[in-house]
Amino acid sequence: MNKTIIININGIIFHIEEDAYEILKNYVTDVKRHFMNSADSLEITTDIENRIAEMFSEILVKDNKQVIIEQDVQFVIEQMGRVEDFDNIYEDDPKSAAGSYTYSNTGERKLFRDPDNHLIGGVCSGIASYFGIEAIWVRLAFVILAFFGATGVLLYIILWLVVPRAITRADRMAMNGQKINLQGFKNNLEEELSAVRGHLNNLHQEATPFVYKLRDFISEFFSHLGQFFNGAGKLLIKTLGLILLLGFFALAIVLVVGLVAFVGFGAAHDGNPFNFNIIESAYANKIYVSAFITAFIPVLTLILVTIAAIFNTRHIGRSAGTTLLVIWLCSLGVFIYYAAKVARNFRSSGEFSQVINLKPASGNVYYLKLNEAKYLSHDDSLRLNVAGNFVHMTIKDDGDDNDLEPRNVSINIERSDISQAVLIENFRAQGFDEEDALLNARNTKYIFTQQDSVLKFDNKLRRLNDNIWHDENVELTLKLPLNAKVIIDQELEDKIDMNGVNVGYCKGLDKHDNATSATYIMTDDGLQCKIDTVVTAKTPAQIDSTRRVDSLRVVTRLQQQLDSARKAGSIKK
Amino acid sequence: MIIENTQTQMRKGILEYCILSIIAKGETYASDIIAELKKAQLLVVEGTLYPLLTRLKNNGLLTYNWVESTSGPPRKYYVLADEGRIVLEQLDQTWRELEFAVQTAIGNRKKGDKPGDATNNETSAS
Repeated sequence: MNKTIIININGIIFHIEEDAYEILKNYVTDVKRHFMNSADSLEITTDIENRIAEMFSEILVKDNKQVIIEQDVQFVIEQMGRVEDFDNIYEDDPKSAAGSYTYSNTGERKLFRDPDNHLIGGVCSGIASYFGIEAIWVRLAFVILAFFGATGVLLYIILWLVVPRAITRADRMAMNGQKINLQGFKNNLEEELSAVRGHLNNLHQEATPFVYKLRDFISEFFSHLGQFFNGAGKLLIKTLGLILLLGFFALAIVLVVGLVAFVGFGAAHDGNPFNFNIIESAYANKIYVSAFITAFIPVLTLILVTIAAIFNTRHIGRSAGTTLLVIWLCSLGVFIYYAAKVARNFRSSGEFSQVINLKPASGNVYYLKLNEAKYLSHDDSLRLNVAGNFVHMTIKDDGDDNDLEPRNVSINIERSDISQAVLIENFRAQGFDEEDALLNARNTKYIFTQQDSVLKFDNKLRRLNDNIWHDENVELTLKLPLNAKVIIDQELEDKIDMNGVNVGYCKGLDKHDNATSATYIMTDDGLQCKIDTVVTAKTPAQIDSTRRVDSLRVVTRLQQQLDSARKAGSIKK
Repeated sequence: MIIENTQTQMRKGILEYCILSIIAKGETYASDIIAELKKAQLLVVEGTLYPLLTRLKNNGLLTYNWVESTSGPPRKYYVLADEGRIVLEQLDQTWRELEFAVQTAIGNRKKGDKPGDATNNETSAS
């Protein structure tokens, strides 16, 4: 009992036994391959298939049976002749006629991805095979292209998606431009079958939608990526690792220096470089050290892991790792505890304001200036003996020492509803509750002075007892009557937030770039830059006349020089 | 290798001439041609014939008609084209010349008294 298959040869139906079918299938495949490069391949193979069908029909009629068996197929093949026998007579190529069946490299090349000689996806290698050059040049070209806006990378991925992989032996031979004739294939059944299956697979792949293609691509991509990192990528990884290692070392050094700076100077109040000290000195060192450890241990771990990865040494021991982890967790806990304690001091905010009535200025003109006098506490004045040593002198604030303190003064200039000028001082600070915040805000001092029409503003809000910073700030609102003329110093804008008043810009509009101040007028819409209408620019006519005079002068002088030279010459003669 | 090559070249040369001659008798089916060639022991396998027929047809020496068959697919019956007839006449001429040349050569050898010639021929043949 044998299984039979129904086949269709050019419209004629036959029942054929399975093993007979395999032989026939191989034979037909051989024949098709043999005539593949011929222009008339379709016609020739159709003729042959038709003849085979006819012979089968004759056999079936003659033997009065219904199924083609192996012997019948063998008989037909014998009649038709094996592919090897075809060549001897038909081929024009004298080499083939002489019976030499070496692979000739004259066959048409096809573009495939090379699965045997690949670095990533075999694209470069395939292209190299197509053009018959070394793969290294194609790879080099792709690497160079990759530097031009990643063109190479994009191109590579597209080619990877589009160009098929050389799966079957026929594909590989076509890739290398070897002529695909039967002698190129071993004639054993198994291999031919696998080739047929490969073609079926290919057919399946062609039919699969893009999504599946993409999925195949991605899985292939990652498997190749793994191989890449194991092989050629190792050098790249090591170089990257070394760069990373250097970076980590630099970070570790920065951390150590930072710790020394904070513990050495930060906690001590004398000569504190950070004027806004937010941490109480009682636990300042704890917070610095815990912060340092919290940051340092991960860096240390990264350094150790990188070293282990680069030099293939053993990883950190389990016990050492556990110890580091425990220390890190402890220091993190300590840091969070104290950080929360510090943050608590900023939980709520307090605010109060006071109004200062300004004396009316003569001519409704106000000069806004920076207070240059240095603020001295009572102790300071005693120590320096200001009353004795600096009589009728002003100790100036050079403004250098407190650069790290955040700006805490801002000025708004608005129109006053009444005819009198008013300054509203709005003090604000943070604290752990509202009362504390209010106390912190009250515990400040802002210096503002008025001398007739000159209003002097200090650039800082002082803390009375210089302890911890609580985000103290003061917002000044200067309310000026309508049509008041305001002259603002450039210096004031440099040191204090003016909320939209741009002195430099106004000076530029007024064409007084070198002036130290700019003039504004209070209008209904608020402060407006006042531009002087009196411009002392020369008219073109004036410029021309002066030029003419100048040139006349030059001509006369030249004439005189010429004359004197001539005189000297005649004397010599 | 040399002997095979020579034999192949010889066969190849006369095969097309023979095919044209067979078809010249009238409408011929491929298997009939094969039968005749086999009888003449010129060709052993059918597979070789089809490419040859296709080539001759493409060169305009042959045409074919489709004829319905009782057993199997329709058959191609080949006929000689006008050009094929001219070519065949030329080949007839060439063949007579060749026959004469070969006969003369063979006749000379068979009649030849010089032993040196015979040895030379034998060595070249082997």
